[in-house]
Amino acid sequence: MSGLWRGFWAIIIKDIVVELRARQVLPTMVILGMLIVFILRMASEPGSAGVGGPVMGVAALWIAFLFSGLLAQERSFAAEQQNGCMDGLLLAPLDVGTIYLAKLLANVIMLTIFEAIVVPMALIAFNLHVTGGWLRLAAVLLLGNLGISSVGTLFSAAVQLARTRGSLLGIVVLVILVPMLIPATFALLALFGAMPVETQDFASLHSSGSLAFVGSFKAAIGYMLAFDAVFVVASWLLFGVVVEE
Amino acid sequence: MRRLLFSLAIVLLVASTWIGLTQGQIAPLQRNILYAHVPNAVCALLCFVVLLVASAGCLVTGRQGWDLLAAASAEAGFVFATLLNATGMLFSRAEWNVWWTPSPRLVTSAILWFLYAVYLILRVSLPGSPYRRARICAVFGIIAFLDVPLVFVSARFIPDIHRPSFSFDSPWQTAAMMLGMAGTALLAAGLIWLRTSLLRDSGELERELLQ
Repeated sequence: MSGLWRGFWAIIIKDIVVELRARQVLPTMVILGMLIVFILRMASEPGSAGVGGPVMGVAALWIAFLFSGLLAQERSFAAEQQNGCMDGLLLAPLDVGTIYLAKLLANVIMLTIFEAIVVPMALIAFNLHVTGGWLRLAAVLLLGNLGISSVGTLFSAAVQLARTRGSLLGIVVLVILVPMLIPATFALLALFGAMPVETQDFASLHSSGSLAFVGSFKAAIGYMLAFDAVFVVASWLLFGVVVEE
Repeated sequence: MRRLLFSLAIVLLVASTWIGLTQGQIAPLQRNILYAHVPNAVCALLCFVVLLVASAGCLVTGRQGWDLLAAASAEAGFVFATLLNATGMLFSRAEWNVWWTPSPRLVTSAILWFLYAVYLILRVSLPGSPYRRARICAVFGIIAFLDVPLVFVSARFIPDIHRPSFSFDSPWQTAAMMLGMAGTALLAAGLIWLRTSLLRDSGELERELLQ
C-alpha cells in the first residue's frame, strides 16, 4: 500500500516539478481563460445590465474551464510521448489505475490554480454577486473541475498518437461532458442569483428549457456528484485498456 | 437472407405508411410524421444498446467481430439519430412553431446525435494498430453509453412540452405505429448486418494488400 502511495505522489510531484521548471501549460491556460472571459464580456454588452450578466458570466466560466482544461489534459500525456516516458511509466511497478489517478489529480490541481485566477476576474468583468455563498461556489467549481479532468485525462492518453489529437480530444471530451454541464450551469446561475435555488413550478420555468429539469441547487450538486463518480470510476477501470500497446 | 430482411422491412414500412395515410390518420395532419419519428427514436436508442454490447464484447473477448459490429451499429445509429432529429424538427415547427427549443428531450436527442458523430470521427482519426483503435473506440462507446440513461430518464419522468407517449384513438393507428416500429427495427438490423460484413471484407482486403 505504501508503495502505491509513493508511486502516486511521485507522478504528481514529477508533473508539478516539470510545470514549475518549464512553465509550459499554466500560463497558456490562464491567458486563454482570460481571453475567453474578455471576449464574451465584449460580446455581452447590451444584455449585461440585468439578468444577462450572470447568464453570460456563467457561459464564459464554463467555456473557459472546458477549453483551458483541454490544454492541460492534452499536455499531461503529450509530455510522456517523448523519450519513451510513457513506456517507463507503464513499466513502473504500479497499477495502471494509480497512474490514471495521479495524472487526474495533477490535472485537477492545474485547473484549480487556473480557477483561482480566472474566476475572480470573471466576477469582476461580469459584475457578478455570489449570493449563494463562497463555499458553495467552491464546491460547484471543484465538482465541475473533477468531471472535466476525469474524462479529459482518460482520453488524452487515448488520442496521443492521432495527428489531430488536440481537436479530437476536444470533441470527445466536450460531447461526453454536455450532460454534466446542464446541472453545472444551473448551479452557478442559482449561486449568482439569476435563477431560484429551488424550482417548484415547472410551468413558470417553461422558458428556461432543459435547465428547468434540474429542479434545485441540491439536485444540481447531486447530478454533478453522480457524473463525477461515474466518470472517475469508469475511467479508472478503463485506463489500462486505453494505454496498453 | 439479407435481401429477405430488407424486403420485409420495406413491405412493413409501406404497409405502415399506407395505413397511416388511410385508416389511421392522426389529426391534425402534421402529427402523422410521428409514424416515422417514434420508430426512428426507438431504433436510435436500440443501436446504442447494440453499440454498448459490442463495445463490452470487444473489450472482454478482444475479437475483431465485436469491433466491426460496434462500428456498424454506430453508423446505423447515426442515420436513425439524424432522422429522429430531422423529423422531430419538422414536427416541432408544425406543432409549436419553433424548429428547436432546449427542452430536455430535444437536448438529449441532440446529445445522442453528437455522441454518434464523435464516435464515427474518433474511429477514422485514430492511427496505429486496429486492435488499439478497437479498444479505444470501445472505451468511448461504454463511457458514452453512461450518458444515455439521461435520455431514457428524461423521456419518462420530466414534465416537458414533448410527450413521452401517445394514446391512440383507433386500432388502425396502433397498427400503423407497430408496423412502422417493426419495419424500422428490421431495417436497422439489416443495415448493421450489411455494414458489419462490408467492414469485414474491407479489412481483409486491406490485410491482403499489405502482404
